[in-house]
Amino acid sequence: MRRTIVLLLAAASMAGAQGSVAQCEQQKHYGRLEEARKCYEALTFSNSAYLRAEGFWGLEMYQDANNQFKAAVATAPENADYRVRWGRLFYERWNKADAENLFKEALEIKPDHPGALLGLAMVLSEGFDAKAVEFAEKALKADPKLLEAQELLAKLAVEDVNFDKARKEAEKALAISPEALDAMAVLATLEVLADKSPDAWFAKIAKINPVYAEGYAYTAHSLILNRRYEDAIQYFEEALKKNPRYWEAHSELGITYMRMGREKAAREHLELAYENGFKDPATVNSLRLMDSYKNYETFRNGEAILRLHKKEADLLKLYFEPEMLRALSTYEKKYKVKLKGPVQLEVYPDHEDFAVRTMGMPGLGALGVTFGNIVAMDSPSGRKPGSFHWASTMWHELSHVYVLSATNHRVPRWFTEGLAVHEETAVSPEWGDRLDPVSLKAVKDKKLLPVTQLDRGFIRPAYPMQVIVSYFQAGKICDYITQRWGFQKILDMMHDFAGNTPTGNVIEKNLGLKPEQFDKEFLAWLDKQLATPLEKFEEWQKKMRGMAAAVKEARVDDIIKVGLEIRDWYPDYVEHGSTYEYLANAYLAKGDKKSAADEFERYAKAGGRDPSSLKKLAELQADLGRPKDAMATLDRLNYIYPVADPEMHKKMGELALGQGQVKVAVREFEAVLASKPLDPAASHYELAEALVKANEMDAARDHVISALETAPGFRPAQKLLLELTSKKEKR
Amino acid sequence: MRIAALIVSCAVSLQAATTYVTVAGLGGEPEYEQRFTSLAKDLDKLLKSSSPGARVETLYGPTATKAKLAEVLASVGKTSTAQDSLVLTLIGHGTYDGVEYKFNLPGPDVSSIELASMLDRIAGQQLVVNTTSASGACVPALKKEGRAIITATKGGTEKNATVFPRYWVEALRDTASDVDKNELISALEAYRYANEKTARFFETQKRIASEHAQIEDTGKGEPVREPSAENGEGLLAGRFVLLRIGTAQMAAASPEKRKLLERKEGLEQQIASLKYQRAAMPSEQYRKMLTELLVQLAQTQAELDK
Repeated sequence: MRRTIVLLLAAASMAGAQGSVAQCEQQKHYGRLEEARKCYEALTFSNSAYLRAEGFWGLEMYQDANNQFKAAVATAPENADYRVRWGRLFYERWNKADAENLFKEALEIKPDHPGALLGLAMVLSEGFDAKAVEFAEKALKADPKLLEAQELLAKLAVEDVNFDKARKEAEKALAISPEALDAMAVLATLEVLADKSPDAWFAKIAKINPVYAEGYAYTAHSLILNRRYEDAIQYFEEALKKNPRYWEAHSELGITYMRMGREKAAREHLELAYENGFKDPATVNSLRLMDSYKNYETFRNGEAILRLHKKEADLLKLYFEPEMLRALSTYEKKYKVKLKGPVQLEVYPDHEDFAVRTMGMPGLGALGVTFGNIVAMDSPSGRKPGSFHWASTMWHELSHVYVLSATNHRVPRWFTEGLAVHEETAVSPEWGDRLDPVSLKAVKDKKLLPVTQLDRGFIRPAYPMQVIVSYFQAGKICDYITQRWGFQKILDMMHDFAGNTPTGNVIEKNLGLKPEQFDKEFLAWLDKQLATPLEKFEEWQKKMRGMAAAVKEARVDDIIKVGLEIRDWYPDYVEHGSTYEYLANAYLAKGDKKSAADEFERYAKAGGRDPSSLKKLAELQADLGRPKDAMATLDRLNYIYPVADPEMHKKMGELALGQGQVKVAVREFEAVLASKPLDPAASHYELAEALVKANEMDAARDHVISALETAPGFRPAQKLLLELTSKKEKR
Repeated sequence: MRIAALIVSCAVSLQAATTYVTVAGLGGEPEYEQRFTSLAKDLDKLLKSSSPGARVETLYGPTATKAKLAEVLASVGKTSTAQDSLVLTLIGHGTYDGVEYKFNLPGPDVSSIELASMLDRIAGQQLVVNTTSASGACVPALKKEGRAIITATKGGTEKNATVFPRYWVEALRDTASDVDKNELISALEAYRYANEKTARFFETQKRIASEHAQIEDTGKGEPVREPSAENGEGLLAGRFVLLRIGTAQMAAASPEKRKLLERKEGLEQQIASLKYQRAAMPSEQYRKMLTELLVQLAQTQAELDK
């Protein structure tokens, strides 16, 4: 009873001292965190549920804040402001879906509610949605003094690499309020990105708010978007010096350390964030992923470090390690760059693990990502067979390692991506992505971006699939430069980018063309390259539909007639149901193995990747007495889907033995064993036989013993064991 | 000791008669009808060619009714002895309503209880390979000592058409399933082969596995996915000879070679015991001892083969 009275008295006294939300925010704005805390605490004793919600929120008591917002909205369902603030709470606590719903509900009550429009812009900006700018502008139109919307526009322009616009938007924010801290952070960031000193801006920020960690953290965040991870780490650390309780920065810093392979530091920061209630999905996923690292094995060979999942390490190492060494040695010579330190390649069999490794979040569309000298990529086992050329992805990512190193991470996205795409087909014309219908249509509809604006196509796509189109365009630009001016020009451009020179200047200096003229000449070249598919695409589509119907009805002669007519109209089309495969299968139905093999061969050379079609080709080639070609076909498959197919490796091992290529045979029989075959005894025995041919008698004996360990009565293995034992005794 | 018992069992199974009854149930749609019938025909061909002395009964199409199945099993029951073996393979759709499993046939379906009653009248060891959807639900009614049960699904709730039967037939065709290279494919070897291939199918197709095969052969346990000495499952299936793929050496034993055979059996037992002790000894010592025994075994076999 006595306790109740005391509490009531305390409440009455606090209510008397209670300020407004604006007052609390002002204390926070000036970095007076203790005063702000007291102010928020006082709000929790208010008679208004809404004010109590704001109070609890300010005290980081999120569940209580949520309950109070619920009560506030229940008592005043027509109050759009409450819904907007409640939405902002959800947004802050990583629940974008509920936040978005509340902003939309507020807009139903008041269609031009600036806060709701801003909230939607913020939600959209998280997904790099082009509509984020539109909503921020709408919010500003509804309330021209809405500082946060103006600051958001500046930040969005930074993301778009439109630094002039970013500066102007930030200056507009400063015109609204000379104490606009985030606008100052944007201006400081622009200086950092231009390799100039941001000190003046950070000093201004510190004068207003000495503990404003958010400013440094924003710069760090922007540096990450520009792939300057080491620099980002420094700014996160600065942010944490300002405010060690800024858990979001701990989380982001932890994820950045994780990206850079510094696991101890990553774990420290992530755990600190987590233990202090910052349990956003990125933090939780990253910690979970790091727990799973115990399931990985690390191999080092010279400057190549491979991290592979234990369940597939034995198999993938056979292919990934030599290919990685080949790529590193090729790039070192080609780019004339010597890397500082080894390169680490991490291969994830679960695509979502790779996504978390990259972004802290699942759902990433990419196949590989480079962080300085560290590359993370999907394993072939993490993708549908035939949908992924792992070697192509590896060469793509390793190109980034060299370009980022050579430019000190100061390179526009279009250039590094374009060069990486170019490299995929430079290794082998069969590698790399093919011309897809979306990119073809973009060329036809004149939707390619000017080279000086191409980065935007990667960052904030204006239409679905623009990212894909931008990769295609960037790759073609590098092909064009190489073809017209030679590869040395690419290297010269790379060195100029290292000096933070803008694209337009680099183009003009190295290629002697104004960017506009370059675009014009590039497009003319591209149109010429794609003349046939551009002209015939619609007709090709129509006839393909007819051919699909003929396939369904097994009208073999019709398939062959139409197939031969249209095959070369769009030779890059090697997706499921390609003309090549239709034709090959039609020939097979007629018993014409030679023509079928020819068509499958065209398919393979055009970049076709379907394992079953490639295996059919190998079989036909072997049947037609072309074992060397059959082996080459299966070798193609090793670069696409070497996993879960011991039969394929066995076949290739046999072909290699027949060709006298004992080293290849040994590798393939090792691959059979590493694929966990259903018949391990036979696999050990076959490997032993190959090792005998390779004159590796001790290893051969080991494997024949392993074969007999599983199947002691296995006669051929018994015979081989006796032979090897007798040879050993004679030695 | 366990090994010796196993060898005796194999010897007995070679002399006894094996009956194979395969039923392809109602497809419902032409695609399934064709698939089920084709698998049953493949199996029929395979069994007839590899086991010339065996009785092979295969039912498919409109004649694969409950009455016909009952008739065939009753006829098997009339001649069966305790040394005989029966392999009943069911291919098709199965249903489970939460209470009872039914195998879909033209006309009335057959329930697991009815099936159990038909099988209980047959003497000898039995293997039931139920490859249908929801087949896991048949185990409670069917399980019995001396009867091994393999199902394509882990219960009645896995209702999609199964891929397991395709790999079961493949297991009998592919000598790779004979993991211990004794030229006999046991029910356990075939199960492991089909189970692994089914799992790989879903893995490579990047699809969530809609079936999980299981086995129960003690008559009193719960079905398991991975039979082992630890869970006690797999002993009967391990000695249940499904198919002979070569000249089984035991059958070829002549009196003059009996001494060599005894030596061979002794060495096999020593190898088996050594493998059990593996964990408790240094790996180098294990490898050395294993090699010595394997060389001796190989030499003995070479003598036998002369």
